[in-house]
Amino acid sequence: MKVTLRIQRYNPERDSEPYYQEFIVEAGDEKERILDLLHQVKWKFDGTLTFRRSCAHGVCGSDGIRINGRNRLACSTLLRDVNYRKPIVIEPLPSIPIIKDLIVDMSDFYRKYEAVKPYMVNNSPPPEHERYQSNDDAEKLFESAKCILCACCTTSCPSSWSDDNYIGPAALLKAYRFVFDTRDEAADERLDAVDTPDGIWRCHTIFNCVEACPKEINLTWHISQLKKRLTEREM
Amino acid sequence: MYKHTGSRGSGAPGWVLQRITGLLLVIVVIGHYFVMHADPASGHTYAAVLERMHHPLWKMFDLTFITVGLWHGLNGTWGIFRDYKMKPAVSLTIYGVIILSGIAFWVLGVNTILSF
Ligand code: HEM
Ligand code: SF4
Ligand code: SF4
Ligand code: FES
Repeated sequence: MKVTLRIQRYNPERDSEPYYQEFIVEAGDEKERILDLLHQVKWKFDGTLTFRRSCAHGVCGSDGIRINGRNRLACSTLLRDVNYRKPIVIEPLPSIPIIKDLIVDMSDFYRKYEAVKPYMVNNSPPPEHERYQSNDDAEKLFESAKCILCACCTTSCPSSWSDDNYIGPAALLKAYRFVFDTRDEAADERLDAVDTPDGIWRCHTIFNCVEACPKEINLTWHISQLKKRLTEREM
Repeated sequence: MYKHTGSRGSGAPGWVLQRITGLLLVIVVIGHYFVMHADPASGHTYAAVLERMHHPLWKMFDLTFITVGLWHGLNGTWGIFRDYKMKPAVSLTIYGVIILSGIAFWVLGVNTILSF
């Protein structure tokens, strides 16, 4: 069957602003992925179409794009997940600078991520074996640890749209990941990093991030746990 | 570009107070509805207001209402502005207007309630 892709294009060396271009591609069945169709465009019609992808299986987080107005992974979105009887609109993630076509500049996203120290901090002398943690304590971290840093959440958040300096749900989720880790010793530094005017209080529990996350992480719940922890610490 | 902007204190107290005042408003607004709006004919005459306002409990009710409502509404309004990037001059002006109007309306309200 024939499917129309309406793709946002932008080449900074040639275009003053982004524009849309339509491609008609051939899809085997509705289990075909959007990523396969993008490959078809690139390999058959226009080699200059530029997008990121690496694993092609929802693991690396590099192909977050906007499909029919929703932030999703091209490799994890099947034709049957979207209305393919109309042109499928493919755009880069919103509210983040475009480098070329579907590729966005993730530098700011990573800076926000770095601000919460996304690594274990433990300065006590290491025990003979590993640092133990109970199953129950580990369980509290599993969901937050599933994040693949695709930026679908942060770029879907209205607070990010109105203030690009807002730290964003992905960084807040990572803060949770370590603040609630019983082996970590830098909870206070991370809480300080999110308790700023452009930090966690810009989250108004709008849930866009939860809807966008391809790993089905309930970001808002995790952010609320951080708000609770901050409240306990400050009051 | 992400900048870590230093905070002039934690945002936690404001966040909690917005929720606590919101909860209090549920109670006070329901009370307000029954006194002023449930029966359009009652509660509006000068005599009825005078009688109510001489009761210390009603005075307490109204003082709570004006304090909690003003704080909640104005802090919420400031929160909406704060969600946008503002130049320091704009931010300071808006903050000033919010604080000053808050004080002015609070003094006006408390003055009115206590004059009965
Ligand atoms: C009747 C019960 C009420 C409850 C339970 C309530 C609760 C809340 C809560 C929880 C927030 C914080 C939202 C956030 O941080 O995302 C909020 C915000 C706000 N409230 Fe109320 N509120 C009530 C009544 C009122 C009234 C009567 C006013 C007007 C004076 C008002 C004005 C505002 C404003 C302007 C905001 C900021 C808007 C926003 O953050 O979305 N609220 N309210
Ligand atoms: S829940 Fe918070 S972080 Fe998530 S989209 Fe809404 S405002 Fe943004
Ligand atoms: S929380 Fe979900 S949407 Fe956000 S970066 Fe991680 S995987 Fe992507
Ligand atoms: S290509 Fe790796 S997540 Fe989609």
